[in-house]
Amino acid sequence: MTTTTPPRPVPAGEPARAVRTRNRVLPSPVTGQELVLLAVIAAMWVALYFTTPAFLKPGSLQPLLVSMAPIALIGIGMTVVIITGGIDVSVGGAVMVCSVLTAKTLVSSGVSLLPAVLLSVAVGGVLGLVNGVLIAYGRVHAIIITFGTANLFQFLGLQIFGSSTVNGIPSTFDVFGRGVAGRSFGIPHAFLITIVLAAVAWWYLRHTAGGRHFFAIGGDAQAARLAGVRVQRRILLAYVLTGLLVGLGSCFVIAQGTSTLDQSVGTGYELQVIAAVVIGGTSIMGGRGSVLGTVLGALLVQTVSSGVTQLGWNSNLRDLFVGVFIIIAVGADLLRQRSRRAAA
Amino acid sequence: MRSTRLAAVVAIGLTATLALAGCSKKNDAGSGGDTSSSAAASVSSSASAGSAGAGSGAASAGGGSSSSSSAGGNSSGKKYKVAFVPKLQGVPYFEAMNTGGKQAAAALGDVEWLYQGPTQADAAAQADIVRSYIQQKVDVLFVAPNDPDSMAPLLKQAQAAGIKVGTTDTDAPNSVRQVFVNQATADGIGQGLTDALMKAMGNKGKYAIVSCGQTAENLNSWIKVQKAYTASKYPDAQIVDIVYAGEDQAKATQMATDLMNAHPDLTGLVGECTSSAPGVAQAVKDAGKIGKVFTVGLGTPQSMKAYLADGSSSASILWDVQNLGYLTAWAGEQLAEGKTFQATNKVSDKLPAVKYTEADKMLLLGPALAITKENVDQFNY
Repeated sequence: MTTTTPPRPVPAGEPARAVRTRNRVLPSPVTGQELVLLAVIAAMWVALYFTTPAFLKPGSLQPLLVSMAPIALIGIGMTVVIITGGIDVSVGGAVMVCSVLTAKTLVSSGVSLLPAVLLSVAVGGVLGLVNGVLIAYGRVHAIIITFGTANLFQFLGLQIFGSSTVNGIPSTFDVFGRGVAGRSFGIPHAFLITIVLAAVAWWYLRHTAGGRHFFAIGGDAQAARLAGVRVQRRILLAYVLTGLLVGLGSCFVIAQGTSTLDQSVGTGYELQVIAAVVIGGTSIMGGRGSVLGTVLGALLVQTVSSGVTQLGWNSNLRDLFVGVFIIIAVGADLLRQRSRRAAA
Repeated sequence: MRSTRLAAVVAIGLTATLALAGCSKKNDAGSGGDTSSSAAASVSSSASAGSAGAGSGAASAGGGSSSSSSAGGNSSGKKYKVAFVPKLQGVPYFEAMNTGGKQAAAALGDVEWLYQGPTQADAAAQADIVRSYIQQKVDVLFVAPNDPDSMAPLLKQAQAAGIKVGTTDTDAPNSVRQVFVNQATADGIGQGLTDALMKAMGNKGKYAIVSCGQTAENLNSWIKVQKAYTASKYPDAQIVDIVYAGEDQAKATQMATDLMNAHPDLTGLVGECTSSAPGVAQAVKDAGKIGKVFTVGLGTPQSMKAYLADGSSSASILWDVQNLGYLTAWAGEQLAEGKTFQATNKVSDKLPAVKYTEADKMLLLGPALAITKENVDQFNY
């Protein structure tokens, strides 16, 4: 980074739109970018309602919500990581390790739902711990470390695959899937779990001192340390959290795949997750961001994907639209930063 | 103080990493390789029509062995060394070919079957292995080239060293190869897929194709045949859309779901590669449309088994990969003995009439194989 970031108040937020709540300075609960995202998604849904035969019917919306769930879920962790000024490009590899290990366990020992989920979450947590320890205490930039561990995880995953696919995965995870077993009262479980966890994360990041510390670290780690924030522990926590969510997300990934798991699982996941986070308005420079935006970002991307297919357009247009959204989102973030700097 | 703490943490981290690596290390190193990228390469970007593509995501009971020589009963005289260099080793598809080659060596008696490939589908690494076989002076050398153009001069070099050369699975058309062992023609695959789907759909209705890589030449050549063949033979049927999901099962499943929503009168789906074949079937199953929407695809038997059983998939079109390996070893024996191929060759009981065309020096394994719930258990990959 060539530009020097001017010192910001700790906790850093959006001072321009700050409101005073119980004697604490908090950013407004919903940012402008999130409102814009909501409006864009609503506009798309309305447009697709008129142009496709069944976009807004349950048969289309339910699978859409199932499909965006793992991206949004892992995105919660990624949002926290990016808020601290880091990044985790190893989630694709981590998804591969968690899902192949869990799938193999399901096939070989036929464990029931809860132990299988716990196994996946635990494995994800360990992988996140490896990242977190190396980044928090190794003091090397996160992109270097996670790029390294991404390859390491990929190797691990392929070793576990052992040159064959995992066949005949039992239907244990159908409760997270697209099928009838995957919903209660019409709401897909995977989506519901994601929303609940996102809400908890939103509250934690906004209303607890611990949560605000993540923003402080991303704004200015040195200042945060001097202000008494245990920077290394917070950073470690962010990566472990991401790992745990990768573990749970991998169960969703298995559920929405087929009864066979092949070596392509997890490929490109890190980019999809980061895209959702960035489109959601989280600043890639750290210090600002919200989980709500990430969930909306994931929803937007899946709406574009499904929309392109249901309209019968060329599949490539999805990439074009997602690319444009990322650039607009990052551009908006930079503009906001500049105007803030000018105001200061 | 700080540095000791740092050292301790790094030590713990490394221990954890090693422990993780240790307990998950199931197969011998090397066989795992980077199969993700290479499998993708094999499915989506293989150059020639009817190439290895469809098999690379397959499952195989016994992967991992890198080379073998089988003990044939026949001990009269010399054994011909027949070497096969696959695009990559360690993936189920080529491991199944290796199994077939070994079976042939055991049955024929006078063949020593050698098998070694790169751990990634990499032309340079493959060339190194070909060179080492040339130095070992094997009798016959078969290659499934990653890059047909760069393989051609090497095959010439092998021939100059007195080695008989051939290609299998994927051709190197502008080379000195003396035979190409072809698993199926584009017509065979495309028509096989269409016929199987039309049988399920009652020869009429709208269907869509979920393909994988948009630039995969082999997949596109099959799609071309499907379009032409559907238009000419099944006038009441119509392809309404072709979408590309990459090598991503979940994406293929979601796209198939979207296609069913976009076309409420859709009654058929084709999964064009090994990841989308089970994907389209899963979508039909999840939507509760088994019996209303029919699917076929190029799926490997083990991955399709569950879907063939519950009716979400009507048939999977592939070829017998083990027989392809068997035929390759047999062709090696013929070349080594200096025999010429007949127009129709009896290779084994399973391969009673293998066609040979002199014009393009091609042995054709046979028509594409329709895998259904009746015969799926015959295949262990």
